[in-house]
Amino acid sequence: MSSSEQASTSSGISPIWNWRITALCGALLLVVGLAAISFGPINLSFIHIIKTLARLPGGLSGQDKTVLIDLRLPRAILAALVGAALATSGAVYQSVFRNPLADPYLLGAASGAGLGATIAITNAHGNVYSLLPIFSFIGGTLAVLTSFFISGRFFAEPQSLLLSGIAVGSFATAVQTYLQQRHSASLRPVYSWILGELTVANWQIVTWSSVYILMAIGILIAVSKQLDGLMLSDEEAFSLGINPNRLRIIAVSAATLATATAVSASGLIGFVGIVVPHLVRGITHRVTNRNLLTISLAGAAFLVLADLGARTLLSPAELPIGVITAFVGAPFFLVVLRKRRTFSR
Amino acid sequence: MIAIDSLEVTLSGKKILSDISIEIPDGRWSCLVGPNGAGKTTLLKVLLGTAPYSGSVKSDGVEVFRNQKRNVAFVPQQPHIPQGMSVAEYVALGRSKRDGWGNESAASRSFISSILEQTNLYGMQRQPVTQLSGGEMQRTLIARALVQEPELILLDEPTSALDLHHQIEVLNNLQILQAQGVTIVSTMHDITLAAMYAERIIVMREGRVLVDGPSESIIHSPQLKAAFDDRINVFTLDSGRPVVVARKDELER
Repeated sequence: MSSSEQASTSSGISPIWNWRITALCGALLLVVGLAAISFGPINLSFIHIIKTLARLPGGLSGQDKTVLIDLRLPRAILAALVGAALATSGAVYQSVFRNPLADPYLLGAASGAGLGATIAITNAHGNVYSLLPIFSFIGGTLAVLTSFFISGRFFAEPQSLLLSGIAVGSFATAVQTYLQQRHSASLRPVYSWILGELTVANWQIVTWSSVYILMAIGILIAVSKQLDGLMLSDEEAFSLGINPNRLRIIAVSAATLATATAVSASGLIGFVGIVVPHLVRGITHRVTNRNLLTISLAGAAFLVLADLGARTLLSPAELPIGVITAFVGAPFFLVVLRKRRTFSR
Repeated sequence: MIAIDSLEVTLSGKKILSDISIEIPDGRWSCLVGPNGAGKTTLLKVLLGTAPYSGSVKSDGVEVFRNQKRNVAFVPQQPHIPQGMSVAEYVALGRSKRDGWGNESAASRSFISSILEQTNLYGMQRQPVTQLSGGEMQRTLIARALVQEPELILLDEPTSALDLHHQIEVLNNLQILQAQGVTIVSTMHDITLAAMYAERIIVMREGRVLVDGPSESIIHSPQLKAAFDDRINVFTLDSGRPVVVARKDELER
């Protein structure tokens, strides 16, 4: 054992072990990603997929190649991006608001995006899906900005932002319900979008959402270690070298950007933002934000796997992905909670 | 030395501290005493650099407000206790300023181990902080402050939640730190303990400093009695040690 490992063990801090879990989540993402682009109504072999992606001779051609490149690959990448965005934002909100039940949709991002999407669906003439991401992104961002504006006391007490987020969210949901009742023909597409879907994935959506999501996750991982300081009082955080207000603004803005982008690209996919962070913390027995990269990778793998289930379980019909995440996530969550309680006894 | 000159603090239109001009010497233990609402905690936050003020509070000639170049440890009376963080992780936060967040060096980890041993926390490293008793949590807070190797340590009622045995244990740990030349400023309700450990006592009431000076002279001063409406008695034991007790009111029958 090296001297640094000895020191780690005796002080009870072992950063090396944490990287093994991160690497494991990365490997898991690759495996489920490969499975997701391989399985479906048309099964594609791993060898052919790898040859096609590496542009080696003997790869796929014709319809199979179109299925891989234009349908499954952008869908799997979008699922990974959205999963990473929701899981990372959830973990960050939980730290910033010192609330283990905080989720990415907390500040009104989801309800605002839902209202934006409803406005698009109820007023659209022609191809509504091309407008959905723009309307829901604007709706989600406006709702969060309104929450910030109303709370005012964000600097003094972060909980007030949380409360104004709930109020703004409820208001947006009320307006959305009113619009739905007035345009009953639009009920089905709105509900389908609310349950979350990745069927609209294409390279255009992947490109613009990846820019925002990767930028936001990059910022959050860069400040992730400091986020531990926000779990203390502001005075303690200051004494440890943190400017708590500035860090809160950076963290909440980046997490909201990631959430709004994810919602506008794929609708509302519940449970990921709460289940995945707690799952990773339960497995690693670590609550600190040092494992934010692990949470991002686990979130990506979880949603790619959930989407594979949504596409294949009732094939050729598709289940809403939100049903899968809740169906799989809730029991998993309960097992982890129970294990955690046993561990901490 | 920290030089405080004409300090005033106003919060939501209410004056919390007014007209305070004192000096806090380096390497000494100064203790703030006074009744509830005297402004002791606010003065600690001013010294930390988080409370806005008018007047001047200079540490080695530099204003302390929002000055994070100083290495100051803060031990609050009621800490936010993070869910699920282990004792070792919590104590390791104290190294953040020296090593960067989450980047404890191997030398730092050895140092953390030695502090855990010194504060009788060794063997509890992996225990979640949420499961600690009041005394254990207080020792954990002190351990984090010790790990920080600060130039100044500020403590808000460090002994209020502890039994007598643990009070002495915590105060002895601070005395070791003081012997190493660290400046200590604490608030304390137990004036007997304050006189036993602190070298200087600063008596406060209603946002003002009534008197400050060496413990042995302040403890017998009329201003100390005045701060508590003359409802305390000061006795001197045969050993020469002063004891401060609350005076029991005689009820009219």
